[in-house]
Amino acid sequence: MKSIYSVLVALLLLAPVAQAEVVIIGHTGGPDAISLDQVRNIYLNRSKEMPDGQRATPFELPEGNATRDAFHSAVTSRSNAQLKAFWSQQVFTGKGQPPQEVNDAAAMKASVSSTLGSVGYIDSTQVDDSVKVILKP
Amino acid sequence: MVPHYIKVAPLALCIAASSVSAQETDAERIDKLEQRVNSLQQQATSSAADRVRLNGFFSTGYARADNDAGFADITEESEVADLSLMALQGTFSINDDTKAVMQLVSRGVQDWDTELEWAYLSHQLTNDLQIRAGKMRLPFFMYSDSLEVGYAQPWARPPQAVYGPVTVNNYVGADATYTYSLGGSAITTQLFSGFTDDPETTSGADVEFRNTVGLNAEWTDYVWKARAVVATAETNISAPGLGQLADGDRGNFYGLGFGYDDGTWQVISEITRIDVDGAFTDTDSAYLTVARRINSLTPYVSVGWIESKDDDERSGLRTALNTNRDEYSLGMRWDVLSGVAVKFDWTYVTGFENDPGGLNAAGIIGDDLDSTNVYTVKIDSAF
Repeated sequence: MKSIYSVLVALLLLAPVAQAEVVIIGHTGGPDAISLDQVRNIYLNRSKEMPDGQRATPFELPEGNATRDAFHSAVTSRSNAQLKAFWSQQVFTGKGQPPQEVNDAAAMKASVSSTLGSVGYIDSTQVDDSVKVILKP
Repeated sequence: MVPHYIKVAPLALCIAASSVSAQETDAERIDKLEQRVNSLQQQATSSAADRVRLNGFFSTGYARADNDAGFADITEESEVADLSLMALQGTFSINDDTKAVMQLVSRGVQDWDTELEWAYLSHQLTNDLQIRAGKMRLPFFMYSDSLEVGYAQPWARPPQAVYGPVTVNNYVGADATYTYSLGGSAITTQLFSGFTDDPETTSGADVEFRNTVGLNAEWTDYVWKARAVVATAETNISAPGLGQLADGDRGNFYGLGFGYDDGTWQVISEITRIDVDGAFTDTDSAYLTVARRINSLTPYVSVGWIESKDDDERSGLRTALNTNRDEYSLGMRWDVLSGVAVKFDWTYVTGFENDPGGLNAAGIIGDDLDSTNVYTVKIDSAF
């Protein structure tokens, strides 16, 4: 009985981790929703505009971060090496700069909540009221 | 009698427990403070980082040919410095819509003299329209803008049949770029005009374009890409030993480009025509490259072809400008680290026996050469 109980507790604790998924977040004063295409366009330098016309400021987690990998496999379908080659071409043709990198989910929320027109992504379990979920891809 | 310490124990436990809960809230508060400090720090650094961005690229490598035919200036005597270059690019944001861009390049082949490759001001008039003025890259080819950024290219070097004949890369002038977004695809048109300010080229010839006007248009749905370019200029060309080959003559450039990149397969092709009044060679050329990404490896095959169309207009020494050759490349890009790629390439060039234009004519005629093998190992980096 006791062991079943502890298994249940473990399952309850693990459940949020197992269901963890990446969500797109924005500034609380920004648009309520954004499409997958719009997020992809902003992260691949095809558009600089949020759905409400604000200048878009995307933020990125560092390479090696699992949430970053989940985001790019869901949204841009590009590997880190492809992204690096893509951005080196954009930078050295004067077309633009890659999104600013932030260290972790906490820094992502802090940057998104303090920047108008911001767009970022975190694990759904990390969402709090400092930011707004605008897309669940 | 109950020992004194037992009576005290519940109290101690109580204190311990309350201090634990106090510690927890302290830890939470510290966490929150840390977050705030992080965000403030990030804001402080981002406002500086947003204003000035520095990027660079670096290449080095070694190439060797099995004779002195001089394909891509590579002979039996090539040195590591010939493929080495280092560049630094600064992007200075003046405001949200206006920026100044500067690129400095030092090349081993020019004794590492630093040259100002780009220096321009760009202004985003609307979300769709950008204008630029200053010293910029001539946008003749699909890879013109990243011509020297080996890291942004699949090959060890751009296909010489198409990229070789144009030895002038930069101009001083202005351009306007309009991007028409169609949802899942976009059309970009660019109108450019200007003149070249540095006639000396690495090939030893002096090439100058005045009153250059050009237009290019590109359609892409981010997997497929199609491009067309036309440009015209008053052209001056002189080469050592061959005299003035074009003297204010009309020079026209036409190009078609095609690309496909689905993340695994990559196909690139360009077809170009150069048409210059006077003795300078009119050439048609093309290449086709197919590459496939397999994790960090990207093997590629490439075929290229160039032929001069006005051989009957030249006589005497100038027949050495007559051009005809086929190029076959087999190579591989290896993404060793993020930002570092190593490339291996074997290129076989043939068919130039009677038409050595664009290569080392003296070597080809002297040694009676009809083909050459060029082996290249190159490291490309971007940071």
